[in-house]
Amino acid sequence: MTERGAKDSVMTLRDLPQAIEPARDLWPQIEARIGRNGVRAVAAGGARRGAVAPLRWLAAAAMVGCVAVGVWIGRSMLPGVAPAPLAQSARPESGALQTAWVSDPRYQREREQLMRSLGAQLAALPPASRAKVMASLATIQQAKQELEGALGRDPGNALLQELLVNTYQDEMRVLTDVHEASDAGKGI
Amino acid sequence: MTLAQVEDSPIDWEGALVERARAGDTRAFERLYREHTGRVYGLCLRMTREPHTAEDCTQETFINAWRALAQFETRSSFGTWLHRIAVNVALAKRRKAARDEPVVEAEVEEQGVEPVWTLETPVEVQEIEDAIGTLPEGARDALVLHALYGYSHTEAAQMLGVAEGTCKAQLHRARKLLRERLNVEVG
Repeated sequence: MTERGAKDSVMTLRDLPQAIEPARDLWPQIEARIGRNGVRAVAAGGARRGAVAPLRWLAAAAMVGCVAVGVWIGRSMLPGVAPAPLAQSARPESGALQTAWVSDPRYQREREQLMRSLGAQLAALPPASRAKVMASLATIQQAKQELEGALGRDPGNALLQELLVNTYQDEMRVLTDVHEASDAGKGI
Repeated sequence: MTLAQVEDSPIDWEGALVERARAGDTRAFERLYREHTGRVYGLCLRMTREPHTAEDCTQETFINAWRALAQFETRSSFGTWLHRIAVNVALAKRRKAARDEPVVEAEVEEQGVEPVWTLETPVEVQEIEDAIGTLPEGARDALVLHALYGYSHTEAAQMLGVAEGTCKAQLHRARKLLRERLNVEVG
């Protein structure tokens, strides 16, 4: 058995290295087998979402759940509160990490449009739905702050960058859901 | 929890990756694979003693984990969960390959302070690994899970699907055999 990074000798069995790297990368074969399942899962999720339009807010909440960067406690946002703080919190932060995706002009334009109409759209929602959307956006905002803070300490961390971009994408999904629900006039 | 506490709290990246993987994100799952593959492969290799079989076990472990992600309790350790799957996979492969070794129920060790598996004198890693490799499967499994990976008797017994007393007996047997093969006291 080939040990990598093992000590020459040990005094207890607990000192033996627990991790042994395989001689080859096993991921490609794993990915080949789970990749198909992954595609199926996403496709099935999309179908359900289209079929249950009134529950679209659940999809938004699930996307927020996907972020799951630890346990975030969303700021207290009561349904009756005007959406102005949200709009403010969702503005691009000065000095924030500008990843290629986030600084994409098309993304910026679409997000700006969605944010402009968010207030009116939220006002048209039933209080319960509005509260859920606002809580979701607040959670996303918290995630963004956490990630940007962590990236400030570790700017080259690819995982952090990926999670940050994913969080921006989650935000866009929530905003788009609100927008589409409003356009359809059927609520979220 | 206040906002300040949230900002100061460590970020649970593994939990975030598990959630993403649950949602179908294979890239997140790859990150989990990269993080855990060494320990999973190490366990599989020590249980199977065959690098190719250990690779197969490792792959199956992660594939099974992907399929069972919905059942994973995020409050528990993802690494431990993977190890449970890995042990099941390794045992299943072994059952296919050969008849099970007779269960040893005798010579149950006295209860009390659990040994830390200290060696009387330093022994080379390779020599110990070779000695472990020569142990009978049941004794080796118990030794690997308990003495190397730090699982309790109860946890190791659960993983192996045997009674706790059986697990202890196997450990007693493993110690005795190691002592003979390494020619040093194993305390």
